[in-house]
Amino acid sequence: MKGRPGLRDAAMAILALIVVLAIPLLHRSPAFEDFIIRLSAMALFATSLNLLVGNTGMVSFGHGLFYGLGAYAFALTMQMTDLPLPAAAVVAVLVTAFGALGVGAICVRLSTDYFAFITLAVQMLFYSIIISWQSLTGGDQGLRGGIPRREIFGFELASQLHLYQFCAVIAVFGLLALRHITASPFGQTLRMIRDNESRASFLGIVMWRARLIAFTIAGAFAGLGGVLAALFVSGAYPELADWPNSGQAIFAVMLGGINSFLGPVLGAMILLALNDVVTRFTEYHGLVLGMVILAFALGLRRGVLDFLRLAWPGHLK
Amino acid sequence: MDLDALGACLSTSACVVTQATSGLIVGMLLFLVAAGVTLIFGVLKVVNFAHGTFYMLGGYVAYSTLGLTDSYALAVVCGALATALGGVVFERALISRVYGSNVLMQLLICYAVVLIFDDLVKIIWGPEFHAMGMPSAFQVPPLYIAGGVVPPFYAVLVGIAALIALALSLGLAMTRLGKTVRAAAVNAQMVSALGVNTKLLFAIVFAIGGGLAGLAGALAAPVRSLSPGMGFSILIESFIVTVIGGMGSIAGALVAALMIGMVRGFGTIAFPGFTDGLIYLMMIAVLLLRPQGLFGRRL
Amino acid sequence: MKLEIKNLTKTFGGVRAIDDISLHFPSGSLSAVIGPNGAGKSTFFNLISGAFAADSGEVLLDGRNILRLSKTERMHRGIGRAFQVASCFPTMTVAENLMASVTAHLGRWGNLACRFPPPGVRERADTVMELVGLTQVANVRAAILSHGDQKLLDIAIALALEPKVLLLDEPTAGMGPEERWRMIERVRALWEQQKLTLVFIEHDMDIVFKVASTIRVLCYGRVLAEGTPDEIRSNPAVIEAYLGTEADAA
Repeated sequence: MKGRPGLRDAAMAILALIVVLAIPLLHRSPAFEDFIIRLSAMALFATSLNLLVGNTGMVSFGHGLFYGLGAYAFALTMQMTDLPLPAAAVVAVLVTAFGALGVGAICVRLSTDYFAFITLAVQMLFYSIIISWQSLTGGDQGLRGGIPRREIFGFELASQLHLYQFCAVIAVFGLLALRHITASPFGQTLRMIRDNESRASFLGIVMWRARLIAFTIAGAFAGLGGVLAALFVSGAYPELADWPNSGQAIFAVMLGGINSFLGPVLGAMILLALNDVVTRFTEYHGLVLGMVILAFALGLRRGVLDFLRLAWPGHLK
Repeated sequence: MDLDALGACLSTSACVVTQATSGLIVGMLLFLVAAGVTLIFGVLKVVNFAHGTFYMLGGYVAYSTLGLTDSYALAVVCGALATALGGVVFERALISRVYGSNVLMQLLICYAVVLIFDDLVKIIWGPEFHAMGMPSAFQVPPLYIAGGVVPPFYAVLVGIAALIALALSLGLAMTRLGKTVRAAAVNAQMVSALGVNTKLLFAIVFAIGGGLAGLAGALAAPVRSLSPGMGFSILIESFIVTVIGGMGSIAGALVAALMIGMVRGFGTIAFPGFTDGLIYLMMIAVLLLRPQGLFGRRL
Repeated sequence: MKLEIKNLTKTFGGVRAIDDISLHFPSGSLSAVIGPNGAGKSTFFNLISGAFAADSGEVLLDGRNILRLSKTERMHRGIGRAFQVASCFPTMTVAENLMASVTAHLGRWGNLACRFPPPGVRERADTVMELVGLTQVANVRAAILSHGDQKLLDIAIALALEPKVLLLDEPTAGMGPEERWRMIERVRALWEQQKLTLVFIEHDMDIVFKVASTIRVLCYGRVLAEGTPDEIRSNPAVIEAYLGTEADAA
C-alpha cells in the first residue's frame, strides 16, 4: 500500500496500542502484564540499539550504559526533587541524551573493532561509578527508597494495571518515534554510511556528525527504556547497567532481525520469554542462553523477522 | 582523595617497594593476558571478548591440579596447557566460522562462550569463591628489600612473566614462526597465498593467546580468589591495556600493563575506591589524544 | 565548465605518482586518458576530485583554483566522479540509491522532520534513472544488479549530483565487447545531452579512438602525449610505450 506510509505506521501503532490496552480489560493475568511491562522497556532498549547496529553499522557493546543511566537519573530525580513523574522522565531522557552526546563525541571517530569494546569499557566505567558512589546510588544494593509519587494524571502507577497501560503507551509512541527517525532522510543516510562509507562521504555526508547524532538519539531512547525499567523495579539497580544487559540487547537485536524495524522487538520478546522459561527449570540459565546464542550464531545467522521477510518478500514492515 | 598518604608512602622506601612490587605483579599478570588479546587481534582481527574465560579456566585448572598433585609447577603448566588447548578448540570450532563476518557475530560467539563457561565453572567447582592459598613451596618468610616486604612468590611471578615477555618478543622477532605471525598480522591473505598453512597458524596464535591468559590465571591463583565471572574484570582491563598500548603491539602491552599496575599499586593509597576510575580515565585520555595507542600503528 | 591542471604533483613515499602534469580540458569536451597500468590515471582522478591532496600545482575549474577545497566542496562546485569498481549502496534499490544521492546533494541528509524521500527528490532521481537507462530495474537491489547495471548506477549516482565535469574511471571495465560499446554509447549520449566536460579512463583502444575527441596519454605519472586520435595513433613515443607496433598487436 503506497500512499502515505507515515500514516500507515501511525495507524498500525494505534491499532497495536488499542489491542494491548484492551487485553487486561477482558482478562487479567499478572504474569502477562508483568511480561508486557518488561517488554516495553526492553523493546525500546533493543530498538534504539538497532538504530546503531542495524542501521548505521555501529556495533555498540555498551548500550546498557544509557539504559542504566536513564533508570538512575529518573529514580534519583523522583527521590530528590518534587517534579511530577512526566517531568522527571523528561529530565532522565535529557540527562541520558547528554551522556550519549559526551560518550559519542569520544567514541564515534573510532574504527568498528575499537568501537565495540570502547563502548563496553565506558559502560563499565559507569558501572564502577554506580557501585562506588554508595552515598548517591546505594552501591551494589541498588537505589533504596523506591519511587515516590508514582502517579500521572491521577493514575496511581503502583497499580500493575496502570503501570501496564503507561508502559504500553510510552513504548508504542517511543517506537513510533524511532520508526519515524529510521524512515526519515537521516535514517537513509545512516544506511548509506553502513553500506558504503566512502561513497557516502563523497556525497557530502559528514560521517562523524551523522554517527554522533545517531548515537545520541539511540542513547536517549535507551534512557526512556530505563525509565520504564525503573518504574518496574521501583528504583534502580546496577544490573541494569551491567554488561550482560548489553549482551542481551545485542542478542535480542540479532535474534529478531537487524534489517527489520520490529526485529528487535520480536527478539526482545523471544529472549524475555526464553529467560523466563529457562529460569523456571534451571539455575544455569547462562549455560542454556549461551548454547542458544551459539546455535543461532552458527546456524540460523539471520534474525527471525529478516528470515521471514526473505521467505515472503512483498511484506514491508 | 588522599594525597598526603601518597606522599607519606613515597617518602619511605619500604612503602615504595611494597606498593611497587604489588603494582608489578598486577602489571605483569595483566601483560600476559593483554599480550594474548593483542596477538589475537593483530593476526586474526578478532577482538576476543572470551579472553577472560581462558584466564578463569587457567586459575581453576591450576587450583584442581594443585589439589591433586600438590605441585604448583605442575599446576601452572596444566593450567596453561589446558587453556592453550582450549584456545585451539575455540578457534577451530567456533571463531574460524565467523572470520571476516560482522564483528557482531564474533561478539555473540564470545559472549555465548563466556555465559556457558561461567555456568560450567559453577557446576564443576561450585559458585562460591575458592582460595588456592600460597602453595607450600612458597610458604617461606618474605624477602626484605629496602625495608619493604616482598613475598618470594611475587619475585618468582615477576620473573616468569618477564621471561615470557622476553621469549615472546624474541620469538616474534627471530623465529620463523614469529616472522610468519607478524607477516600474517599485516596481510593474512598474502601469507596464505605464499603457501603457509594459515589454518594451523591461526590455531597456533589462539593457542598462544589462550595459553598466556591461562598461565596468568594460574600464576594469579595463589594471590587472588577464584570465582565464576572473575574473567570479566581482567578482560576489561586487558582491553584498556591494548587501547593504551596499541592494538597489535606486544611492547605496548607491556608498557601499558606496567603503567596500569603502578597506578593500581600507588593509586589505592591516593584514591582508594576510585582506582578503577583512574584507569578508565587514562584510557579515555589516550583515546582523545592518541587513539592508536602509545605504540600502535595509525588506524 | 573547463578544467585546467597545472603542474600537478603527488608523491607517495618515495614515488612520484604524478609528476608535474599540466593538461587542459575545454568546456564540453570529451577526452580520454590512457596509459599503461601504473601510469597514475586513477591517482590523477583522485587528485582532481579531492580524494587525495596534491603536493603542489593547481586545479582550476572555470579559472578558480579548487586545490584547497575538500572533496565535498569540489563536488558542490561541479566535479563528479564514477569509480572503476562500481561504488553503490548495495542493500538499497536503484531508486533508493539515487534518491539518497539526490537528498545528500541537496544537503538534506540530516533531515529528521519528514519521511524519506523529501519532496522533489523522487522526480529528480527518476530523471537520472532515465538518463542512464536504469528505469526498468528501479526496484532491484543494487547488490544483485548485473555488473553493467552496477557501473551504470555508479555513473548515475555521480550524475545525481549535477556535475559539470564528469570523471569516469574505466566505465567499461569488466565488460564483454558488445556491452562495452553499449556502455560507451550511453556515455556519449549522456555527454551530449548534459553538455558535460567528460574525461574517461579507458583501456580498449578501439573505443578510445572511435569515441574521444582528444586523447591524453599518461606514462609514469607524466604526460607522454596529447592530441586527436590520429595524432596519438601515429605518435612514436606512444606506440613504443603503450600501443606497440602492428607486429606486436598481431
